[in-house]
Amino acid sequence: MSDRLAKAIFWVGTLSSLAVFLFMTQRTHASFDALTHADKLDERVVAGKRAFERHNCNDCHTILGFGAYYAPDLTRAYARLGEDAVRRRLEAPEVVFKDSYRKMPQQHLTKQEIEDLVAFLGWVSNIDNHDWPPQDSPSRWKRSTERLLGSAAMSPAAALVSQENCLACHSLGGQGGSVGPRLEWIGGRRDADWVARYLANPGAVSPGSRMPAFDHLSEGQRQMIGEFVVSLAADRRTP
Amino acid sequence: MTVKYQSQRVAYPYFVIALLLFALQVAMGLWLSLQYVFTIPQEIVNLFPFATSRAMHTNLLVLWLLLGFMGATFYLVPEEAESELAWPKLAVFQLVLLVGTGVAALVGFLFGWTQGRPLLEIPTTLDFLVVAGALLFLANVGVTLLRAKRWNAVQGTLLGGLVFLALMYLFGMPFYRNLAMDWYYWWWVIHLWVEGAWELVTAAMAAYMLIQLTGVDRRVVDRWLYVQLGLFLFTGIAGTGHHYYWLGAPQAWLWVGGVFSALEPLPIALMLWDTWRSTAAGRKEQPKLIWVYVFGMAILHFVGAGLFGFAHTLPQINYYTHGSQVTVSHGHLAFFGAYALLNLSFFYFAIPRLKGLPGGRYNERLGHWGFWLMTCGIIGMTLAFAVAGVLQTYLERVRGEPYMVAQEPMRFWMLIVFAHGLLVLAGVVVTVWHLLTLAPPRAVAAVAGTPARAEARTA
Repeated sequence: MSDRLAKAIFWVGTLSSLAVFLFMTQRTHASFDALTHADKLDERVVAGKRAFERHNCNDCHTILGFGAYYAPDLTRAYARLGEDAVRRRLEAPEVVFKDSYRKMPQQHLTKQEIEDLVAFLGWVSNIDNHDWPPQDSPSRWKRSTERLLGSAAMSPAAALVSQENCLACHSLGGQGGSVGPRLEWIGGRRDADWVARYLANPGAVSPGSRMPAFDHLSEGQRQMIGEFVVSLAADRRTP
Repeated sequence: MTVKYQSQRVAYPYFVIALLLFALQVAMGLWLSLQYVFTIPQEIVNLFPFATSRAMHTNLLVLWLLLGFMGATFYLVPEEAESELAWPKLAVFQLVLLVGTGVAALVGFLFGWTQGRPLLEIPTTLDFLVVAGALLFLANVGVTLLRAKRWNAVQGTLLGGLVFLALMYLFGMPFYRNLAMDWYYWWWVIHLWVEGAWELVTAAMAAYMLIQLTGVDRRVVDRWLYVQLGLFLFTGIAGTGHHYYWLGAPQAWLWVGGVFSALEPLPIALMLWDTWRSTAAGRKEQPKLIWVYVFGMAILHFVGAGLFGFAHTLPQINYYTHGSQVTVSHGHLAFFGAYALLNLSFFYFAIPRLKGLPGGRYNERLGHWGFWLMTCGIIGMTLAFAVAGVLQTYLERVRGEPYMVAQEPMRFWMLIVFAHGLLVLAGVVVTVWHLLTLAPPRAVAAVAGTPARAEARTA
């Protein structure tokens, strides 16, 4: 190989790659506003991002898959957990994770910081990032939920969920509120008995919970709702 | 054997501090792995959370590697330029400035003073001191080379890599309102460092060592250096796209990132072949340990950065492995193989000369122990991280188990990581001790008539 050829490989390789990269950077800037819903990126969200950095959240958690791997990814935390659960984790991690084998530090956040962080995570959860992460993909939720709802529409438990207006706070199959966690998410972590006990007195099972007690239902009805909710967990056979 | 230029000696304090920080980095890593295995009480978590120790672990890594690169630069530039450094005292001041900044940052982390972005936690105020240190460094090296007017490919590559490195740091300094854009430019620092600027520095340092250690013709080395750099930058620059799949950037990045980064093992393979070819051209009489290091570096660089990187760089796979312990596995072997071993190789090359050991010979025994303890430890650790990562990928990403449920069976593998971490720490302590106390082998010491040293060794 001659010196000329070696130098030509260097310049052609470097400059062609740089050209592709700069062109793609320009394309990315042109698309960011739409893909990240920049119109909803208000001062509260920015204040939340500052709080997120001030408390070094990203050196335990990942967000958009980046950061440390010690704690759950936060990209869709808002959609998965709902506002109330996010707030409680920020207010009193020592209570929420009392029985967990991994703890979150109590950083004494102000009320304002907590509201800002909730706004920030809410905005992040809507970033269009090609359906990542897979475990929070709406298509996964919908597939298993729709199959269940098809057969459960007439079931007494489904009627109870509808009668008690659970979807005012929780979401199911992408429909409903965002105060509490997605109903589909619960079954991966809890069993039906736990849900039934929780319904009877949420504050006793999970101190600080803002969910109202459903003690006007019978024990049997609560158990039925519990079994229904747990059965909604993502279908494990067909990922 | 000794150094030709007095100002090369400023490299030594850089090497010493880099080695001590390396040991501290590894010790902090052991504490990190324990936090995965055991339940740390809430009171301790409140005082010294995982986040703080992780910031220390990664920043120590960056600091010791950069100090090693800088020391190596100060060592090789006078020889390549055939002139003394422009301002040797400034090089010492720069070291004091950077180490002071680093220590301030590490202590600051303990009290929650942070920019809060992984790997770039150093607060903005201190960033300006880092920039000042980098400018002093570039000025010192640049002026030395300009005055000497003896340009060659090694110097050009090294200076180019260092300027590139310093420029990219600037993209990590501002506050970005949009999280997606923040990460877009975060990778300009991190990716374009490790798969761009740092590879240039590596190529230059490795080429310099090969020229010194073997009988290879410099013109041949120069020619292959151009080809290597062309391939590194061709695959590396647009290859940044493999980090842009899932952050809210256009879908076209899946193509660009996938295609370019799939080629990234090529230049590293070429580098491995280059090492092979150069040494086949004839080895000069050297301690065996330096060959262990040079080949260890070339092989593990290829395996850790090339193969382990390729394993999860395609978007179809990365969709499931992104942000899991699979990344951690790749990260540890790649950083060790490519950059930790590069610095250690250079230290084993330069320190015997800086100490003026007769014939560049020293008692090697402990050095071999150090190398193999570290290397076996890191390989075991990488495999344990990989098992944990595959478990996580399957349980959390494929089956959709909640995060903490998926973490439970991974805890055992983090214990295996810890056990191998002990090996690494032992290896690092032995290596650091050996490098800082290099002494001639007994026979040579007696011939060279240095009874004081020989006595000290037997005492």
